[in-house]
Amino acid sequence: MTSPHIAAPLLEVRALSFQRQDEPVFAPVDFQLHAGELALVEGDNGSGKTTLLRMLAGLLHVGEGALRWRGAPLQRDACTGDILFLGHQLGLKADLSARENLHIATGLNGQRAGVSAAAALADIGLAGYEDEPVRRLSAGQKKRAALARLLLLPATLWLLDEPYANLDRSGIARVNLLLETHTAAGGAALVTSHGAVAFHGGEPKHIRMHA
Amino acid sequence: MTSPGLATACAAMLRRDLTLAWRRRGDIAMPVLYALIVTMLFPFALGPEDTLLQRIAGGVVLVTVLLAMLLALDAMFSSDIEDGSLEQLVLAPRPLALMLGMKILAHWITTALPLIVIAPLLAGMLHLPGAVMPVLLLALLLATPLLSLLGAVLVALTAGTRRSGMLLALMLLPLCVPAVIFAAGAVAAAQQGLPWLAPLAWLGAALALAVVLAPLACAAALRIALDA
Repeated sequence: MTSPHIAAPLLEVRALSFQRQDEPVFAPVDFQLHAGELALVEGDNGSGKTTLLRMLAGLLHVGEGALRWRGAPLQRDACTGDILFLGHQLGLKADLSARENLHIATGLNGQRAGVSAAAALADIGLAGYEDEPVRRLSAGQKKRAALARLLLLPATLWLLDEPYANLDRSGIARVNLLLETHTAAGGAALVTSHGAVAFHGGEPKHIRMHA
Repeated sequence: MTSPGLATACAAMLRRDLTLAWRRRGDIAMPVLYALIVTMLFPFALGPEDTLLQRIAGGVVLVTVLLAMLLALDAMFSSDIEDGSLEQLVLAPRPLALMLGMKILAHWITTALPLIVIAPLLAGMLHLPGAVMPVLLLALLLATPLLSLLGAVLVALTAGTRRSGMLLALMLLPLCVPAVIFAAGAVAAAQQGLPWLAPLAWLGAALALAVVLAPLACAAALRIALDA
């Protein structure tokens, strides 16, 4: 391994590709993600960004190529709680409030020590809307309710598919801050976006997708 | 980091689905109303002849309850697939089969249990003798979870397809037949004063098998449905 880091990378992707009905969705990608690193997955519409994230999350089977997790071949059972995926579908029940939705998430995934659901919701900018059914929230507020999971769940690797969609300027700044604190604490994140996003915490790694 | 146990996860899942069902109480009432209306129509169509109604009462109640359950069956996973909750459930570090088992249990509590509660009323309207009532309830308590579990597997298998209702009904029909035969057989035997335990034991055996295998099959089917 020619990595300058001494520790094994958190996630290593080798010649990963995906076929849908024998048509490759994207050209093989290779990259490494170390603890404390942030990577931006870039590409045009339909270039396979979401497919890549869904594969890494374990929702799609790995077509060709290899995934290594902390230096060993990735075993789903060993790392499920360590990877957090946030997709286009936010996974919120519209009839439940943001707080109830968070309680389900922590009930299933566990909770970070020292963070409460109320504090996470206040932090993400939903103070005063905790008990409102999610169906009555605006699109941006729904996104924030889903992002509150990032604060609450104990995961090392975040896979965020378009986390900036529907967010206002303060929301975007909030997500950037979340990513900075997460990477500073030794976590890693993979973020898709087609727009240019400004990060304050160092230069993120860029992964370019080609159809 | 605090990692909750399996029991906490199961409770969270069960509470979630029950709360959701409670927030949409109207949907729970639908199968109950359907069963009530169907059973009420039988005496009008066949005439208020005591002996005839008594003879068909057990079968009518069983078939009505099972059909009423079908009304709510295809909604079991659809909303979870649409809003992405299922993805989150698949990715959670908990055994998916167990979590789906909780979902099926919640579904049974919200659709079948109200029907079982009104079953004595339905049977009473058709003049089923009071002595047979416990056998009917026992048969329903064994047959309805069996149908929920078998239905869940089929719903999971057809989850990816659009307008799966028709396909679901066709696939479920042959699977319901044994449940109906054994349940109705027990009620009929009790009505004639014959031993009725054997058909119920068969239902119980099928249920025990389904409780173990159906959630596993559901989990596998839903993983495949998402992997597309």
